[in-house]
Amino acid sequence: MRDLKVSFATRQGVVRAVDGLSFDVGPKEVLGIVGESGSGKSVAMYSILGLVRDANVEISGSVKFQGREILGLSDKEMQSVRGGEVGMIFQDPMTALTPVYTVGWQLVEQLRAHNDMTKQEARERARELLAEVGIPDPKSRLHHYPHEFSGGMRQRVVIAMALSCNPKLLIADEPTTALDVTTQAQILDLMERLQERHGSSIVIITHDMGVIAEIADRVIVMYAGRPAEIGPELDVVRSPRHPYTWGLLGAVPRADVKNRRLVTIPGNAVSPLAVPEGCAFAARCPHKMAICDERPPLRGAHQHLDACWLTDEQRLAIRSVATTRGES
Amino acid sequence: MSDDVLLRATDIVKSYSSRTKNLGQRTPNRAVNGVSLDIRRGETLGIVGESGCGKSTLARCIVQLLPVTSGSVQFNGVELTGLSRRQLRPHRRQMQLVFQDPYASLNPRRTVGDIVGDPMRINRVASHDDINDRVRDLFVTVGLDPNSLRRYPHEFSGGQRQRIGIARSLSLNPSLVVADEPVSALDVSVQAQVLNLMADLQERFNLTYLFIAHDLGVVRHVSDRVGVMYLGEIVELGDAEALYDTPLHPYTEALLSVVPELNDTDAPRRERILISGDVPDPSDRPSGCSFHPRCPVATEICTTQKPEFVELRPGRMVACHHPRNLDAAPLTVPPPTPPVA
Repeated sequence: MRDLKVSFATRQGVVRAVDGLSFDVGPKEVLGIVGESGSGKSVAMYSILGLVRDANVEISGSVKFQGREILGLSDKEMQSVRGGEVGMIFQDPMTALTPVYTVGWQLVEQLRAHNDMTKQEARERARELLAEVGIPDPKSRLHHYPHEFSGGMRQRVVIAMALSCNPKLLIADEPTTALDVTTQAQILDLMERLQERHGSSIVIITHDMGVIAEIADRVIVMYAGRPAEIGPELDVVRSPRHPYTWGLLGAVPRADVKNRRLVTIPGNAVSPLAVPEGCAFAARCPHKMAICDERPPLRGAHQHLDACWLTDEQRLAIRSVATTRGES
Repeated sequence: MSDDVLLRATDIVKSYSSRTKNLGQRTPNRAVNGVSLDIRRGETLGIVGESGCGKSTLARCIVQLLPVTSGSVQFNGVELTGLSRRQLRPHRRQMQLVFQDPYASLNPRRTVGDIVGDPMRINRVASHDDINDRVRDLFVTVGLDPNSLRRYPHEFSGGQRQRIGIARSLSLNPSLVVADEPVSALDVSVQAQVLNLMADLQERFNLTYLFIAHDLGVVRHVSDRVGVMYLGEIVELGDAEALYDTPLHPYTEALLSVVPELNDTDAPRRERILISGDVPDPSDRPSGCSFHPRCPVATEICTTQKPEFVELRPGRMVACHHPRNLDAAPLTVPPPTPPVA
């Protein structure tokens, strides 16, 4: 993906939901996109699949999937990509499934839309898929409607659907947000195992740094539609470079370590109508400088990039003060 | 009842009957199944559990928003169950609620100043002018601009609305604040602001909190003591640090093991204990220990005999036939919550 920009014209002005996002996803790689509500993480992924259809939307940039430009494909061309080579897992499994058909019907429909299969073959494959995602008694479960499944089981059905055409790339938008921790662990475990077996790449969108740390190889931290920091997961979590990432990591109450005062980021997320020309985070940043009125470039070394004007020496000084104060 | 106990709940049961199963036959559905706990003055008691475990129902029973089916709730030594609405009023003033959804819990057609002042008007505790002054003070206290009293809830962000909800809960100087998932609808950076605010207010006004949440990190962060709920029962209750470090109940242990960790240090990750299946339907409660069908260490006895809720280590209550980590759990009493001045 290169320099993706998505903006919506609204009565109040132009909303720049995604403002210059570039990244690559390697084969078999798990890329995490993390950000708070309104950071543009979901819109970015939806727009590349042609799922953002709004008369007032403007999308620019380039998205190449296996070397082929997919931005701006016709609906018909897109249909073979979406659900076929690229699978999607949505946040809310109840709305991702049709309540009026059985899950078997929905799986068979999906399979036959993308493959040359008889009904019988599709039905057999649907049963295999349900078994693969760990649904007990898959044969009879095919005849059940989505409301007869629990939240975790429903998400398994959605994953089965996403996997049905052996996608090369799986896009998962907050796949575990609606689930309890024990169920979340089951689903993350399942996604890891399936990824190993099928060798697909995954882009996982979430607001939870913990989920990123559990599953992702690389992470993009987004703020106000722009990438604040990109890097290998361990580097970003252990030596974050952008002040927004510092705040984001320090604000998480932890179950695994002892209490301390939470780091807060002052103020509220910037209004998407009024993202400043310069650094989007400057207004809430405790380390704002004069130069922050200019937009910082995304730069860095060893695959670990960030968009911040602070020098390495300044960051080191700020971080050591924070450490002595007991903030991490 | 000793003086440092603000509220004592004994064997609370809340049961609903549902007719959906077995056509026409009423099956009792025990959302809360015999919960006993003490809330000590000045402490934060956290209740954690997955969705449907009955933690919100428990909170509502404790503040008498829902009538209990059986059991007793004593507040400041006074039995609350069975009191009429009028008799409850003076006690209700002392117990206030902060709700989960800051969008649904504020009346969209009233100004936020009115919303915060309403409890004082309803309870006729002060004159009109005094109420206005107090509302302004409360806005400053929770970090809101006192010049925004005339605005409506939709003009505020989620975090600000939760501050309004907190200001409202403080308006009658309560001794107990029951917060039901107060931060789960907020983004992490805003969540941290609200949690820090609640901690400051507790110190300033000697508040006692009953804090209900599903997020184990949040609960550890705010709580002095923690109760873990499963299927309408408290399976483990104890000092927060001890409970998180050496969970005694296998459910607590599994729950803690699956919380995503940031792995920002070289410390090895807790080994994940995946518990299979889903939480059973409370109308079809398993025999013996409710957790036995999903428990990794369950044996014969667990299927037949319900474990007693007993103090296995000082200050650590647990209901399990095969408690975990007993060797690691400290034998000394944890330092008590600092007494309230």
